[in-house]
Amino acid sequence: MTEKIKLFDTSKCTGCRSCQLACKQWNQLAAKQTRNTGTYQNPPDLQPNTYLVMRFQEMDDPKAGVKWFFRHHACMHCTDAACVKVCPSGALYYTDMKTVGLNRAICIACKECVTACPFDIPRYDDKTDKVYKCDMCESRIGNNMEPACAKACPTGALTWGDKDKLMKAAYKRAKDLGGDAKVYGDKFVDGTHLVYVLQEKTALYSALPTNPSVPLSIVLWKDVLKPLALLAAGGVLAGSFLHYIIHGPKTPDEDGANKMEGGE
Amino acid sequence: MKKGLIQATDWYERLVHWMLALSCLFLCLTGLAMMFHSLNSIANLMGGLTVTKYLHNFTGLLFALALLLAIKMWWQEAGVFSMPEDLEWMMVAGGYLWHVDKVPEVGKYNPGQKMFFLAVAIFGLVMVITGLIMWFPLIFPAMLVRWLFVLHALGFVVIFAFFFVHLYLGTIGSPGSAPAMFSGWVTRAWLKKQHPKWLKEMEEEGTLVVSGEENKAH
Repeated sequence: MTEKIKLFDTSKCTGCRSCQLACKQWNQLAAKQTRNTGTYQNPPDLQPNTYLVMRFQEMDDPKAGVKWFFRHHACMHCTDAACVKVCPSGALYYTDMKTVGLNRAICIACKECVTACPFDIPRYDDKTDKVYKCDMCESRIGNNMEPACAKACPTGALTWGDKDKLMKAAYKRAKDLGGDAKVYGDKFVDGTHLVYVLQEKTALYSALPTNPSVPLSIVLWKDVLKPLALLAAGGVLAGSFLHYIIHGPKTPDEDGANKMEGGE
Repeated sequence: MKKGLIQATDWYERLVHWMLALSCLFLCLTGLAMMFHSLNSIANLMGGLTVTKYLHNFTGLLFALALLLAIKMWWQEAGVFSMPEDLEWMMVAGGYLWHVDKVPEVGKYNPGQKMFFLAVAIFGLVMVITGLIMWFPLIFPAMLVRWLFVLHALGFVVIFAFFFVHLYLGTIGSPGSAPAMFSGWVTRAWLKKQHPKWLKEMEEEGTLVVSGEENKAH
């Protein structure tokens, strides 16, 4: 299957939250009672039952007055995904479309993915003892449908399609917008499968890392120490065998008078 | 029992040693089952990966107990190097690697054993502390937990590799050693070869326990 991405264009988003609702609906996620904390953003963050939250920010701009920032905050579906790297059970995996799927049936709730994710996406639920995150509606995209969020978007801020085509469109859009507008997602973790066209500087968006990467600690752990454990043990076993047949074991001397150095 | 055998270990020492050894081995096995997808099938034998995770975590508590008892029991004898004889022994690698006419005499534990003890003690504690935090990772900063995984993996590299050295030298690499771990009784010839200074010390202090003889310590 061809590689596909979901493109979110901040400049076209009106903050209607259709995507957030469609996500809840398709994934049958109940809502939780929340409190008004002075922002339209609700719930305040991703939760085990909220795979996607629309982030709202108000920014004071001396020229333009108040600016509204909307960001579609969900799993970025990295090509080189830290969560897949650390998952001991294979519950987190790459799909044919290169998105990151989650098979909750085999999740052992080690929570390593929660710690590893450079975007702080997976959420652990202690009631079910499982981890939750957006799976890009695998049940839909696997059947040639678009993700529920993209389907619901009324303004065209969210689109789903072939990576090549949408990346070109993203760069064209960023160029057309001008100013600080830029494409976010293709320059790290070997490319994400949720790509943004950000109208403003990256650092201005809340909870969005400017230069995310698979943490060095996880590369050291999984790509260096893991093979080293087998190499070291194998080396010792081979060394012991060679020692036994070449130098020989350290055997007690037969008798006081008859000094035999074992195997030497 | 054969006459003339010498008691090298008492029941308590062997019990703690076996507790430490078996819990450590089981931790290695369950750890490997979680570490490599290709070894996930080991976990199936134990009822799946989730069961394996809990077996690993709770065995870790047993390991922690055995480790503390072992450190308390051994640190004075095996945790301190006695210079200069330990250094001399190390310079000739204890006579294990090339021909040495006269291997410097060592006591109850040779420097190699001391290094193994220190490796297990230090990295064992690292494994226990990092493991406990990794059990409840969400109440600690993600940055910290990420690096604890690295330490936990590093501890495994060291302990797993050292374990095979220990296994080899406790069995076929040094014939006559294994009984110290099973019955506790070893031959005088083995003791003279492996721990001559200890044999002399016990003879001088009259603490030598020989099978078929009255205990001279009384």
